[in-house]
Amino acid sequence: MKNLKLYIYILAGVIWLNACKPELNTPKPTPGTADFSRYIAIGNSLTAGYADGGLYRAGQLNSYPSIIAQQMQAVGGGTFTQPLFSTEQANGSGYLSLTGFNPDGTPITAPVTSNLAIRGFQAIPGFGNVTLYTKYTGDLNNFGVPGIKLQQITYAPYGNLNGYFERLLPGNSPTNTTSYLQFVTAKPFTFFSNWLGNNDALGYATSGGAGDVLTNKNTFAYLYNLLITTMTANGAKGVVATVPDVTSIPYFNTITVPAVLGAVQKAHPQVQAIFINALVSASTYAPRAATPNDLFVLTFPTSKIGQPVETPYGTLPYGLTPYTPIDNQYVLDANEVALTEDYVNFYNTTIKSVAASKGLAVFDAYTFLQNIKRNGIVVQGVALNSSYISGGIFSLDGVHLTPRGYAIVANEFIKAINAKYGSTVPLVDVANYPGVKFP
Amino acid sequence: MRKIILLALALAPVLSFAQGFQVNLEGEKQIGMGHTGTGLAQDGAAIFFNPGAVATLPENYIQGGVSPLVFQSVFNPSGTNEQFHTANKIAPPFTFYGVWGPKNAIWKLGLGVYTPFGGLTDWGTTWPGKYSSEKLDLKAFYFQPTLSVRLTDYLSIGAGFVYNRGTVDLTQALPLANGSGQPGQAELKGSGKGYGWNAGIYFKTQSGVTIGISHRSQVTTTINNGDAIFTVPASLQAEFPQPNQFTASIPLPATNSIGFGFHPNNKWTYALDLNVVNWHAYKALIFDYKTTTPLLQNTVQPRQYQDAFTFRAGAQYQACSKWAVRFGGGLATAAAPDNFVTPEVPDAPRYYLTGGLGYKLASRLDLDLSFEYEHLFARTQTNAYTQLSGTYTSHVYIPGISLSYHW
Repeated sequence: MKNLKLYIYILAGVIWLNACKPELNTPKPTPGTADFSRYIAIGNSLTAGYADGGLYRAGQLNSYPSIIAQQMQAVGGGTFTQPLFSTEQANGSGYLSLTGFNPDGTPITAPVTSNLAIRGFQAIPGFGNVTLYTKYTGDLNNFGVPGIKLQQITYAPYGNLNGYFERLLPGNSPTNTTSYLQFVTAKPFTFFSNWLGNNDALGYATSGGAGDVLTNKNTFAYLYNLLITTMTANGAKGVVATVPDVTSIPYFNTITVPAVLGAVQKAHPQVQAIFINALVSASTYAPRAATPNDLFVLTFPTSKIGQPVETPYGTLPYGLTPYTPIDNQYVLDANEVALTEDYVNFYNTTIKSVAASKGLAVFDAYTFLQNIKRNGIVVQGVALNSSYISGGIFSLDGVHLTPRGYAIVANEFIKAINAKYGSTVPLVDVANYPGVKFP
Repeated sequence: MRKIILLALALAPVLSFAQGFQVNLEGEKQIGMGHTGTGLAQDGAAIFFNPGAVATLPENYIQGGVSPLVFQSVFNPSGTNEQFHTANKIAPPFTFYGVWGPKNAIWKLGLGVYTPFGGLTDWGTTWPGKYSSEKLDLKAFYFQPTLSVRLTDYLSIGAGFVYNRGTVDLTQALPLANGSGQPGQAELKGSGKGYGWNAGIYFKTQSGVTIGISHRSQVTTTINNGDAIFTVPASLQAEFPQPNQFTASIPLPATNSIGFGFHPNNKWTYALDLNVVNWHAYKALIFDYKTTTPLLQNTVQPRQYQDAFTFRAGAQYQACSKWAVRFGGGLATAAAPDNFVTPEVPDAPRYYLTGGLGYKLASRLDLDLSFEYEHLFARTQTNAYTQLSGTYTSHVYIPGISLSYHW
C-alpha cells in the first residue's frame, strides 16, 4: 500500500513535469499568396537527386524537391510523387561509394554494381548507345532528368537519347516524340520549381572544353522565355534558380596545378612546369605551361604524367614538355574558364530578368555557391565548404550534392519562396541529413 | 594528403556553461525568502551566504537539505514551427552545514558542503543542435571549513577555505557519417579540483538593520586527463586515437554580495540582496588533447561573458512559534552576451518567485520546505560560432526540503 502511494506520487510528478513543459508560441505556417497544392519540379540531375556519380533510390529520396515538398505539407502542399527506382533495383544507374583511403590519404572509391535498374541498351544511329532503365509509370511531380540541357527541352526525339527521360515516357526508344516541355506541362500544376540551365555550361566545362559546346546565348534566352511563359501560362507561381559558377565545384578544384607540379617535383626536382593544350582563341589550341588558373578535372588520371609518349621529337614524358601536353579533355584552361564564365553570366542575367518579368522567386545558386567556395558556411554547428569529401556539401562525383548539401539548397529555395510570396514554408533541419558517408 | 582531403572538418567539441550553471539553492529558509541571506543570520547556511554572520548565530547547527530540480528548456529553430524539449532529468543540488562553538564564545567553527554550480541539460541525439550539444552534466561540490569571529556586539567577520570537486560529462554529435548515415559521437568526461575562499562581514546597526557583505572567490577547476571518447567511422579512427585524454580549466566565477536584513517586529523579517557575479572571467574555453591529429586539434573558444547582476528580496512571517511563512523573488541579468548563447544552458535574463514554510518539529528540530519557480525569458539567438539559430525559453520548478537540528 505504501509502495502504491509512492508510485502514484511519482506518476503524478511525471505527468506534471510533462504537462508543464515550456512552450513557445509559433505562428501557424501560411502559404501567403502561393498555392502549393500541386507542386512540380523541373530540372536536371540536381533536381532528380543524382549523387555520387549516379541516380539511385536513396539519392532520389533526398532530392531537394522532395525536401521542399515535405516542408510544403505544412502550408497546403499536396502529395509529391517521384519516379523512384524500386527497392529491388534501388541502386538505379549504379554509383560510387567511398571504401577507404590510400596510405597517402587519397580516397578510394568503388562503383556499386548490384541491384541496378538497367533494362538494356538502344543503339541510336549517329548518336551511340543509350542506356535504358526500368520504366516508371504513375503520377509524377519530380521531373528532374539527369543530363538534360535547357537547349533540349523542345527537341522531340530527346526521349530516345536520354535513358533517364526515356524511363518516364510511355513509349520505348527510339519511338518517342514527346518533348520535355510538352511532357512536364501535360498535367495542371499550381506551383513549380525550375533549375534548368546548368548543363548548358557544365557539359562543356566537365569535358575540359573538348567534348561538348556551350549553348548559344540567343538560343538560351529564347528557350528560357518560352519555358517560363509556358510554365506560367495557367497562372502557376514558382521559383527558379540561377546556374552555379562551374568553378565553384570540387570537380575543378581538387586536383590543382600547383599540387600536381609539386608532386612531380618531389621525384624530379628539375621539372619546371606542367604543359597543357590550352585555348588560344575561337577553336585554336596550343601547348603552354600550366598556371594555377588552369583547372584539372577531378577524373584526371595523374598517373599518366611522365609516362613515355612517342612523338616526332623522340620519346618524351607525358605532360612535361610542350610536345606532350596534357590532353584538352582533362583541363579547363584559363581561357575556357573565362569563356564559360561569360556564358554563365549571360544565362543568369536572362534567368533573373525573365523571372522578374513573371514575378517568380529566384534562388541565386550562383552567388550562394560562390560564397561557399570563398568563405565556407556554418550550418547548425557543422562547418561546410566546397572541398572534395571533407567539405560535406558535394558528393563523391565532385559535382552533385550530398543529402546535407541538398537540404541546404532546399532551404535556400524555401527562403526565396517565402520572401517572394509572403509564405512561411518551414525550413528543414539540415542536421538530419548526412554529408559524405565514411566506411 | 589525408590532411588535405580532411583538414576542413572542424570538429572541436565545445563545453560551455552560463549563469544557469550557478545554482542558487543553498538553504531552504533562504530559498523561501527569494534566496536572500547575505544580511541575515538565519541558520547554518550562513556559512555559504556570509561567513561573517556565522559567529552571531545563537545556537549550534547541523542541517541538511536537498532541492531536486528539472531544468526544462524548449528550442524553436528559426524559420520553423517545430519545438524541441530537453529531457526531464532530475538534478539534486544538496547542502550540508555544521556550525559549532562553545556557548557564549566569540567564535564559531563551521563546515559547509554545497553545490553552487552545476547543470544538467539533455537535448537528445536527434535535435537540430546536436552538433553543438547533446548532453551536459556538470557538477561542482564545494567543501568549505569556516571560522567566524564576533569582534564586537555589532561587528563580526568570517572566512572559509573552499575546496572544489567538479565533474563534467559532455556529449555532442560529430558530422562524420558512417555507412548508414549515422553521425559520430564525442564524449568528454572527467573530474577535477580547484581552490578558493569565501569571506564576509556582518554588521548590526543601531537601528536594528543588519548588513552583510561577502565575497566568494573565483574557483578555477582544472580537469586533468579526462577521457576523450570519439566514436567515428572506422576509416577515420586513426585521426581520433583511442584512448585519448583532455585537459580543460573552467573558471567558476566569483560572486560579490551585499545584503540587508530588516526586523521591524518579532513577526516580520525582510531581506534584500544584490549579487554581482564576475562572469567576465570567462573569456574563452580551451581544450588541450593529449594526442592531437590533423583532424583533432586543441581548441580555443571565445566566450566573452559579461558580469551578471541579481536582485533579490524576501520576507518571513512568524505566524506563531511553530510556523513561519516565507516568500520572495528576484531578477537576474544574463551572463552570455548576444551571439554567444549556447544550448548547454540557454542563458537569458530571468525572474523567479519563491515561497516557503518553516515548522518546528521539536524544540531543537526545524523542518523547512521551499518552492521556487524560475522563468528564463524567451531569447532568439544565432550563435556566432555554430550558427545555431532559434528561440529558447526555459523554466524550473524547484521543491526543497531541509532538516535542521540546533542546540
